[in-house]
Amino acid sequence: MNANPPTTARVAWVTGATIIVLVAAAVGGLVIGPTSIGFSRVLGDVLSHLGLGHTTLTPLQSVIVWQLRAPRMVLGLLAGAMLAVAGGTYQGVFRNPLADPYLLGVAAGAGLGATIAIADVGGGLSTPSWTPLLAFAGALVAVAVTWAIGGRGLRTSTSSLILAGVAVASLFTSAQTFLQQQASVNSLARVYIWLLGSLASASWSSVTLVLPYVVICAVICLVAARALDVMSVGEDESRSLGVPVGRVRLLVVAAASLGTAAVVSAVGLIGFVGIVVPHVVRLLVGTSYRRILPISVIAGAGFLVIADTIARTVMAPSELPLGVVTALVGAPVFVFILSLRGRVAM
Amino acid sequence: MKAIAIHDLSVRVGTRDLVHRVSLDVSPGTWCTVIGPNGAGKTTLVEAVAGLRALASGDVSLMGKSLRTLNERARARRVSLVPQHPVVPAGMSVHDYVALGRTAYHGVLRAPRAEDRHAVESVLERVDLADFCERDVVTLSGGERQRMVLARALAQSTTIMVLDEPTTGLDLRHQMNVLELLRREVDECGLTVLATLHDLTLAGQFADRLVLLDAGEVVLDGPAGEVIRSDELAKRYEMELRVVEVNGSDVVVPVRDAPHVRRVLPTDQ
Repeated sequence: MNANPPTTARVAWVTGATIIVLVAAAVGGLVIGPTSIGFSRVLGDVLSHLGLGHTTLTPLQSVIVWQLRAPRMVLGLLAGAMLAVAGGTYQGVFRNPLADPYLLGVAAGAGLGATIAIADVGGGLSTPSWTPLLAFAGALVAVAVTWAIGGRGLRTSTSSLILAGVAVASLFTSAQTFLQQQASVNSLARVYIWLLGSLASASWSSVTLVLPYVVICAVICLVAARALDVMSVGEDESRSLGVPVGRVRLLVVAAASLGTAAVVSAVGLIGFVGIVVPHVVRLLVGTSYRRILPISVIAGAGFLVIADTIARTVMAPSELPLGVVTALVGAPVFVFILSLRGRVAM
Repeated sequence: MKAIAIHDLSVRVGTRDLVHRVSLDVSPGTWCTVIGPNGAGKTTLVEAVAGLRALASGDVSLMGKSLRTLNERARARRVSLVPQHPVVPAGMSVHDYVALGRTAYHGVLRAPRAEDRHAVESVLERVDLADFCERDVVTLSGGERQRMVLARALAQSTTIMVLDEPTTGLDLRHQMNVLELLRREVDECGLTVLATLHDLTLAGQFADRLVLLDAGEVVLDGPAGEVIRSDELAKRYEMELRVVEVNGSDVVVPVRDAPHVRRVLPTDQ
């Protein structure tokens, strides 16, 4: 057991290291890929846009960097940041280490919406281009149903909401499974690709769509960090300390769910980031949400871009599902940090 | 003005009144302890005063202001709580834990101000925990932990403090330490205390006034010495009790039932 919580110096060190990893991940996201384009040439292109020197990129390379890799990298940053901060927020508000952004049915709802859009079983609704819209709508409907069932007791307890989330997720997943059973083999394959998450269809328009949701929702979660710290002493005690527990819960759960729904509608169901990134950060900087949430934003963003870079390069020209890579990369990192914690006072 | 004015209060769970039509006033700067057998409604009563229970009927006023009109933040500036089983979050430092007591002043959106930091440091000194402030809360002993919880309540700078069995799990010396500390706050700082205690001896020695609660209703209410020596006490606990005087203090001694004698004896006079 640690005698003392992590020091300020340690937190600063971890924050700095995380920022360096994030920058490296972002640069890697731009320059790494089947088409080799050096960092200096990408940098030269950036400077040329600022009127400094001339670009050495061919028009095709410029398209690859700025129309394919850059939006994909930025969307990865946004998705990773949102999933990580939402996961940390859920863990704080529900005081449950197993909480992740999909706790209240976002994944099941989005999965059902996407299945309707992609699989050829939904009649007029089965329009692949509607996937983000139907996934977003499905996620919001699932959370709304969960809230309607379990939100009544939220002023005093979160367990009813969690149980409602389990029930709603089961219901939506059953419906999704039924539709998948009816779908053709081709469309079923596309559904599975979506379910495992991918940034392959990223574009600047998808970045523009997701950006406001992520910024607003992540800021709300970050602002609520101090309240989450107080709420770590339990519901009654935090109320006795002056925290309007019911209102804080409503606000942060709504923000975390909305942000997650927006991200999921654009990139599919990427697992692991929302649950493991906040835990890794917690192991490194302690239990205060004022540290966990902002560092999770940075770490989640960097982690997802690294995972995506791996996903699109190791088997190029084909891609690995992003959700598979996040688990394959994230699980060993998590286990390594856990084992380190056992050996070294952290 | 009464610090705590409880008027005709009922607290209900389902169809059952856990507290039934209780009326009780506590003057500023005094210590009132609620005693009674298990299930008497003691915890429910003090939690209602702390604003944690819905009031089925009646009202509770804190320094003249009805609980019904106070929001969480305003209430937390009037009444602080020391729960029976406080949640101690692992990984939090003692300083940060005590600083939670200032939440009602700086709010959940802002960082603590200079006066909040000063209040926390002052309380840590008062409860003799200044040397522990960087320690993880879970590394403290039971006695230190209870002083820390008390420090958090003191950091709230309230005129009223509600404590539910504040000596639970402590050895005798630490029980005395915690209650002495609390008594000092009452005598020197004018704190008003409403507490529950199972230990009748400690209840009698530290409180100015005792209220005997049974089945959700007030049975006895008076100066500690009188209530401790009342025959009603033994009846309500359904056992034989004796009160002996040691160095001018009343000590309540439970007497084991003899198999052939089942009676309630009056206390020593």
